[in-house]
Amino acid sequence: MMKKNSLFLLVLFFLSVTTCFATMQLGAPLTLQEVTKVSEINKHPDQYLGKQVLIEGLIINVCAARGCWMDIASDVPFEKIKIKVVDGEIVFPLEAKGQTARVEGIVEAVHLTEDQARSMARHHAEKSGEKVDLSTIKGPTTYYRIRGLGAEIN
Amino acid sequence: MSWRKWNFVLHRDLGYLCIGLTLLYGISGLAVNHTSHAFNPSYTIETQKGQVSPLPSGKVPDMSYVNQCLAELSITAQFKNVAMLNPETIRIFVEGNTIDVIVATGETIKEKIERRPLLFGINYLHLNKGKGTWTWVADIYALAICLLALTGLFMIRSKGRRRALFLTTIGFLCPLLYLLLKPS
Repeated sequence: MMKKNSLFLLVLFFLSVTTCFATMQLGAPLTLQEVTKVSEINKHPDQYLGKQVLIEGLIINVCAARGCWMDIASDVPFEKIKIKVVDGEIVFPLEAKGQTARVEGIVEAVHLTEDQARSMARHHAEKSGEKVDLSTIKGPTTYYRIRGLGAEIN
Repeated sequence: MSWRKWNFVLHRDLGYLCIGLTLLYGISGLAVNHTSHAFNPSYTIETQKGQVSPLPSGKVPDMSYVNQCLAELSITAQFKNVAMLNPETIRIFVEGNTIDVIVATGETIKEKIERRPLLFGINYLHLNKGKGTWTWVADIYALAICLLALTGLFMIRSKGRRRALFLTTIGFLCPLLYLLLKPS
């Protein structure tokens, strides 16, 4: 009887950590009410730089190695924004792709040299299989992303 | 009871208590130590190229095209969502799979994601993805293994003392030498 109970508890334990939750809360609880459109941030990044925002949208990609970033589709076609978190502080599950997320975080700028930008584009092309024309990258570039503090995935 | 006896009892019982978690952290440690873009310790990721009918030129991809792609690829998993990544590519999300379709050519790249049995669970605990209560358990375990090491140190007897000190010194020197000699 004791053995059966122990086995049941062990199975229950592993099931509990492998079960998908309806709404997954990651990191700090969301505090903002007003949602900022991703297209707005992409259009006027300097206005939002350093500010805490709440965005929502479809998760189109998740870091396959550590779950340390995800891409959220914009409300405008073909646009997206990257959510980057400190490794280990929040881990985005790979199964989250195709689900919707509400993410709160701080808008930040990432400045890349020409070499860094090319290396990043090459890496992205290798990973995604997409074709990237490296000759279009000329000089240093800046892209904007959100340093994620908390997220809800539905 | 002498302090040596107490030390022995504490070391023995802490050892028993820590066996499960030490194995869990050890196995998971081996796995997460080798995390890279080519190896995810918690998931298996398989990519497979395929082909579906291209979208006739001038047409905009819609749900009927998405359903057609899924049917041609014999994918019956539950549909989750679809996104237009760029004018050439749509990404279809179904349970456990992501399919990129280059609409002009019909080329597809299917990515299948599955949780690694057992490793997903133990990595979840090791990396403390759940936070909350598990943080306490992990903290207590960390203190317990520190105590286990210290009580082990006090178990050194005069017989075999040189061997014990030699091995203990190596244990301390390994990380110290690495830190001193590693390239900056």
